[in-house]
Amino acid sequence: MDFEKIKDAVTSIEMSKAMEDRIKKNIGKKKSIQVNYIRWISVACAFGILLSIMIGMPYLNKNGEIQVANFAITAYALSDDGKQFNTAITSEKATIELATEDRVGALLSISGSGANLIFTDVRLKITGEQIESITYTLSEGKFIEDVTFTSKEYVDKEWLRSEKINFITTEPGSGKYQGIKEVGSTYTVNYNEQEKHKYALAIPHDGNEVIGDDMIIKVNVKYTDGNSEQQDIVVTQESNSISLRLN
Amino acid sequence: MLQQAWSDELDAKRIVDTYGNMLFSICLVILCNEKDAEDAVQDTFITYLTKSPTFNDPEHEKAWLITIATNRCKNMRRYNFIRKHIDINDLQLYSKNDKNHDLLDHLMRLPTKHKVVLLLYYVEGYKVDEIAKILTITTSAVKKRLQRGRELLRERYRKENEYGF
Repeated sequence: MDFEKIKDAVTSIEMSKAMEDRIKKNIGKKKSIQVNYIRWISVACAFGILLSIMIGMPYLNKNGEIQVANFAITAYALSDDGKQFNTAITSEKATIELATEDRVGALLSISGSGANLIFTDVRLKITGEQIESITYTLSEGKFIEDVTFTSKEYVDKEWLRSEKINFITTEPGSGKYQGIKEVGSTYTVNYNEQEKHKYALAIPHDGNEVIGDDMIIKVNVKYTDGNSEQQDIVVTQESNSISLRLN
Repeated sequence: MLQQAWSDELDAKRIVDTYGNMLFSICLVILCNEKDAEDAVQDTFITYLTKSPTFNDPEHEKAWLITIATNRCKNMRRYNFIRKHIDINDLQLYSKNDKNHDLLDHLMRLPTKHKVVLLLYYVEGYKVDEIAKILTITTSAVKKRLQRGRELLRERYRKENEYGF
């Protein structure tokens, strides 16, 4: 058998002219597409980076940190010298000294489960644009409000219960009565009425003023266009202070 | 950009004119299907144009194209093993010499690994060690496949043609 004939047989195979033209056309086209594709990858990457920067800019707060929502949270409290101070809540811990000494000393429990609560004067305020309302929700503890009332109201236990004034602080001989009104674990406030509702945090503790596991405050902001955003604040205890930071 | 497109078109024309028929014949014998062979050739040229490899000489370029084409064929056979085998009567569309049709038909029916070695050895004229490099197998494997390919071809041809070559 002459195997050399294999060469003659195989080399006699030829592409048709139509096939040859088709291949030339297709590979030329694909090469051009490939060249343009590679070029456009660079352009697309550059555009993508630019877009990311443009989108990302509004999400940087004044400290240059990534801001996950379009509103800022500020915590207010009284400092040791009695002056009010405020601190922005960010992903960094904001430590606030607990100012509970005056109230706790003369606290009178009317009813309820407030025996294991640390009453703070820490309040939160939201700033932003086109905000309609804010809803705060606590994973543990309660929101409270300091209220004042008369001696007549003081003796009316039914009124106190209906107003959810479960704790009363008194200033002996002054005739002034102050109470701690329980707002609940959640409340909603209109953006323009935040100053009217000075609700502070009451944090549960283990009986020795040590707060339990990390407590979460969910801050949900509803905008005028119907959209909403949420940020979570983690509350932790550090010695005689609490720390707030964005989760 | 227009100059680049023009250069690409010239390059495409050159390689198809130079290597088109050679690669098509190899791919057709391996794949036994003209559409698959066309695809394999086209894919080989696209790989050539997109990778733009540099070659020492035309032989280097040819060997590179054969390697890409045979690998492409092997992959196509691996993933599309059920295919319509080209009819012997259709061979006249690609091979004008009727005397070759029987031999081509027998060659096409050989196992791929044997016919690839036979093609490279007898058609493209590569030596055993060169085939070993192209197919990335040992020289002894090339020799075995050559020997077995010849035996199979001889045996199959003898069964159908009592006069032989």
